[in-house]
Amino acid sequence: MDYSKLKRRSSYPFETIGVAIAFSPRLDAILGEAKILADNFGAQLLLMHIGERTRTKEAKLDESFRKLGIDEKKTRVIWHEGNPVNTLLELCKLNIVDLLVVGALQKENMLKYYLGSVARKISRSAKCSVLLLTNPLKEGTRFKKLIVNGVENPKTIHTINTSVYFGKHMSAKFLTVATEVHQEGLAMTVANESTAGEASKLRKEFQEQELNKVHEIVTNIREREGIEISEKLIKGKPGYAIRQYAESKKSDLLVINSPDQNYGIIDRIFTHDMEYILEDLPSNVLIVHSRVSPK
Amino acid sequence: MKLVSNDIIILLVFIGGALVLSRLFAEIGKKFKLPVVLGELLVGILLGPTLIGKYYPDFFAHFFPVQGTAARIALDGITQLAVIMLLFVAGLEVQLQIVLKQGKTAVLTSLTSMIIPFGLGFVAAWFFPEFFNIGKNDKLVFGLFFGIAMAVSALPVIARILMDIGLYKTKVGMTIMAAAVFDDLIGWLAFSFVLSMMSIEHREISNVWESAGLILGFGLFMLIIGKRIINFALPWIQKHMSWPGGVLALCFGLGFLGAAFTESIGLHAILGAFIVGIAIGDSVHFREEARTIIHQFVMSIFAPLFFVSIGLKVNFVENFDLLLVLIVLFLAMICKIAGGFLGAWMGGMTRREALAVGFGLNARGVMEIILGTIAHDAGLIDNKMLVALIIMALLTSLISGPMMRRFVGGEAKIV
Repeated sequence: MDYSKLKRRSSYPFETIGVAIAFSPRLDAILGEAKILADNFGAQLLLMHIGERTRTKEAKLDESFRKLGIDEKKTRVIWHEGNPVNTLLELCKLNIVDLLVVGALQKENMLKYYLGSVARKISRSAKCSVLLLTNPLKEGTRFKKLIVNGVENPKTIHTINTSVYFGKHMSAKFLTVATEVHQEGLAMTVANESTAGEASKLRKEFQEQELNKVHEIVTNIREREGIEISEKLIKGKPGYAIRQYAESKKSDLLVINSPDQNYGIIDRIFTHDMEYILEDLPSNVLIVHSRVSPK
Repeated sequence: MKLVSNDIIILLVFIGGALVLSRLFAEIGKKFKLPVVLGELLVGILLGPTLIGKYYPDFFAHFFPVQGTAARIALDGITQLAVIMLLFVAGLEVQLQIVLKQGKTAVLTSLTSMIIPFGLGFVAAWFFPEFFNIGKNDKLVFGLFFGIAMAVSALPVIARILMDIGLYKTKVGMTIMAAAVFDDLIGWLAFSFVLSMMSIEHREISNVWESAGLILGFGLFMLIIGKRIINFALPWIQKHMSWPGGVLALCFGLGFLGAAFTESIGLHAILGAFIVGIAIGDSVHFREEARTIIHQFVMSIFAPLFFVSIGLKVNFVENFDLLLVLIVLFLAMICKIAGGFLGAWMGGMTRREALAVGFGLNARGVMEIILGTIAHDAGLIDNKMLVALIIMALLTSLISGPMMRRFVGGEAKIV
């Protein structure tokens, strides 16, 4: 397979939007969301079903197209059998999908979380951006409030730019770049060897460093017309802190970087970063795959 | 044996004196950039059989808890409690996420800085048991211990040095932290295994596997099920109970219960405290304020008592064996620096950065001293080896900072 077209391809604009369909009760809602996204971004819609192709399924899809007003000529449907995760990811690569839309449960039971559901597995290993919709609506979700993780990483600037692009096309009003501060290791270093003044100075230095970094990122955002962009420093473990923040602010979309490496079960046992978000989705989540090496 | 009034007075005088003197010594040492633990050990050496106990035995017997008295039994109980708390605190800082987040370089460095020192230590003990004064029948257990002793790192010492020289948030700093976390985790799990081997009669293979299975099973249970229970209990306690009393009671309570459990199934108590510490420290609901309070409580009260008590057990002058000290120091430094260097270099760091990683990981600090003392109490090593390990731990901690600064001071890349 030739994947050279994928290499260094920008994370936006979204030219092809892929949708994983499963003929569940949420089918119409997922298709409704996909249609609105495709209309707003001027993208081609690619529907992918991993499973047997039957007349009943075809009839159901036709009916949904009719109800939602989806233009069959502008939409491609791929039927394929095989392992759902691997096949979907392979199809996305082959068809140069820029954004994959997947319906996801907000929270899964413990066993399923450790074993990994289709949506979660895709989130961990997709080579394109993934939009996880926790509560898809036929009439489309209004993405008014966006929160973007401003973690220090070469991918972050691409993620923020993609969020601004997403926000502009989806008529978002507010975008907050939130950076997490986790003072790991500070407790043990100040416990027995620092005066109160030294400990407080160390804490302050830690915080100021992070504040300067987030400020620099936000200042560098260029195309910001129409969206109110703000910055926020939040304390806590990376991944968990932003999940809590997105939940408390009732955000419509949390935007994060794609993981730097393949996450496995060990990352779920010693939960960190994106795994905290996948454990309990605080809102819809957009994982931006910027195709930039973390190095 | 019962504690009578005189025993209580002796015990209280000792505890009070040890706390005040060790803090004074530690503060003086800090002026000269010396580690706090050095001051605490010096107080023990001053008060114990090395100086006062030797030259003023009557005074010593009158004011300090000597062997065989009820006061000494009580003091031993307190130091047991201290070592369990120290391991609990060590567990709080084992955040394996740091290793997982840092990727290939950190994983390679973690592995080489563990395997090379362990292998070299084991081989040295296996082929030259007579040099370490070990019988042929004990060379397997001693070899495993000596390998672990060569491989452990001192996470708190390393974190402190990295912050002092401004390298903590750099790639070098994070790689050192990740490898130290990994070495600590594997080192203490393996040490618990060695201690359980010592207590197994005939050391049959089936019993050894049983011990390994129990360690693994308890660890997995605590990190999967236990962590979820803690995640559920902590927010409730923080909301409904007084702060910080509720959290402290839960943390120490679970730590001691975990220690009691592992002791009861034939593993050492430190393992339970260590693993419960990891499970609590990993909880997202465990506030930084609570972490700081626990650290300060243990490191300011129980750690000094533990380190002073080491000086009471051993005559440091009589048991100072220059050749043994030099060999232990040489082996410890060469294998840890080489192990750290190799992994970091293979992971893509420059030679200077990789050398800084090697020297950073070389700091053994309090972890080595705790490890040596437990092994000494378990009858695994003699006085001379304990003294050699303590000197090695102090010297490696002292040279770590200046050497790291020499190789990457001011030029390390921020992660």
